Amino acid sequence: MRRILFTAFLLLAACAGATAQRSDYALKTDFEERARAIAARLDSASTTEAIDSAREDITKLESDFASHSEFLDKALYPLTFTESISRLRSLQVLTYDRVYLIRTQGVKLSELEARISALTARLDTLTAQRDQLFGELQESKKSLASLREAVRRLTANLSAKDRLIFAIVDSIFLPYGKDLHQVADVQKEAIAQRLQNANVVTRVYEIAADNVKFLDVTQLQGKDYAGLIDQYQAFAGRWAGLKEKMTDVAATSAVVAGEAGTAAHGGKPAKGKTPAHAAAESAATQAAHVDSVLDDWHRRLIAGFWGGLQKEFAQAGITVNEFHDGPSFAASVRACIASLSASKQDPQPFVENLWKQKIDRDWRDGLTREGMLGRAEYAALDRAVSELSRETIDGTFVAYIAGVLALIAGVWFFVFRKKKASPPPAPAE
Amino acid sequence: MICQRTLIIAALLCLSGCSVLMLEQVDFGWPVESVVTVSSSNTIEDVRYSVRTGVGPLAREEFQDSTALRGARLRLLRNSAGFYFLTGPRFKHVYVFAPGPSTLTLNRAIPVTETGLKDPALNQRPPYVELVDGDNFRRLLTSDDIVEVKK
Repeated sequence: MRRILFTAFLLLAACAGATAQRSDYALKTDFEERARAIAARLDSASTTEAIDSAREDITKLESDFASHSEFLDKALYPLTFTESISRLRSLQVLTYDRVYLIRTQGVKLSELEARISALTARLDTLTAQRDQLFGELQESKKSLASLREAVRRLTANLSAKDRLIFAIVDSIFLPYGKDLHQVADVQKEAIAQRLQNANVVTRVYEIAADNVKFLDVTQLQGKDYAGLIDQYQAFAGRWAGLKEKMTDVAATSAVVAGEAGTAAHGGKPAKGKTPAHAAAESAATQAAHVDSVLDDWHRRLIAGFWGGLQKEFAQAGITVNEFHDGPSFAASVRACIASLSASKQDPQPFVENLWKQKIDRDWRDGLTREGMLGRAEYAALDRAVSELSRETIDGTFVAYIAGVLALIAGVWFFVFRKKKASPPPAPAE
Repeated sequence: MICQRTLIIAALLCLSGCSVLMLEQVDFGWPVESVVTVSSSNTIEDVRYSVRTGVGPLAREEFQDSTALRGARLRLLRNSAGFYFLTGPRFKHVYVFAPGPSTLTLNRAIPVTETGLKDPALNQRPPYVELVDGDNFRRLLTSDDIVEVKK
């Protein structure tokens, strides 16, 4: 009987608890106060244990209020419930990172942030200068000297921006060492946040787009291309490395957030996309945009290069097959050499005026770059052209020798043979 | 004939010109009440929704003393229809005001308790406003009356 009464009392107490009246305002302030308390604990945390404990509190807070998320989305305006939890998680990640860096690397987060901030400011200054330089480029199209100067300054500006953005990237990744696989998930999340805060992908995109615009509005000379090819290849290589790292940290962030969200929703996956998932997707989309503009950059650079080279042939009056890459260029030049050699035409305009004066002087640097023609293939073509020249020299030389020999024979015939024909007068006796 | 038609068209045009433009299904409801403290100048202010008003006449009405509310923490909530619900500790009523140009006009003072509220709170429960006071006091209110009493 006592047991029955006790059970009934417990049931009543549970019902009373369930139907207890509660103020929405109290619910909101309760959430806010608990969130504030966690943030304060994180601010003052100096050990990873304290941060881990705060992390558990965040998960509990999320779990406790998940059923009121719809109400809190409105009541916490301008934040939503999810954003408030995300802010706490971000704070926890950054605090963990701060404590970890000070402990293991001796790098103060403030110094790192200051370095990134200074580099970002310099990059923004260069962006402002770039706009001015594009303006100058438009204005100076009439004068060749000022046009060349504007092109030179703009190239230097784009190159400096390129170096700066990857200096920012290096500053972000450097404290964690080279092997990203050994970096803890929570630090990868911190890296992802720092990349996002420094707006790295957008800036990389802008630089690539600037280069596309530059190629679009500029008339380049043969000798300009070597530097531009080097710049593109270095940029593409560094972007590939950065993209790989970004994919790694973005995937980790999404997994970390996914686990936290599942834990907060009692083992069930959270409805909709978490901010980390959204950020990972956004990073993937942005990366795809960078890839696309990089393809455009490469296409324009290559088209400009081979198109400019083809123009040199046309201007020199040499007809060659159309070419659009290293192998087709080599084939065209070899065909031209063979044609000149077979037709016994004077090869001087091709050898001297075009190859030596233009191609070897202005285009060689670009042509010898790997991915264009390459050093070995250029050397082979240069040898073939030189042989064509030697064949010409040898023919002339043979003709010259034959002429000289004919002259000597003529002289001998007329002088010595005449002497033999008229015998000396007989001495008078 | 033509004259008649012209008159009809003119009348229709006049009628359409006179009709008032009205936007319907407006939801004025706040998701959560504001807890506002009566200042020394006898005013309350809600920063989020930019509402500021004097409460001297309200204090006189409820406590017969225009300064009785100074320093008190009042609960203010606007319902979906746009009425402002106002109450506080020791209140025996929930005051429902209708907004007008620079005014809040009393729509209804709803009597809720004889002894005065202790720690009241207003919750938005569309289409009602819920008044709670501790664990065992709950009323569902409209802009005119109590529709449900639950303990």
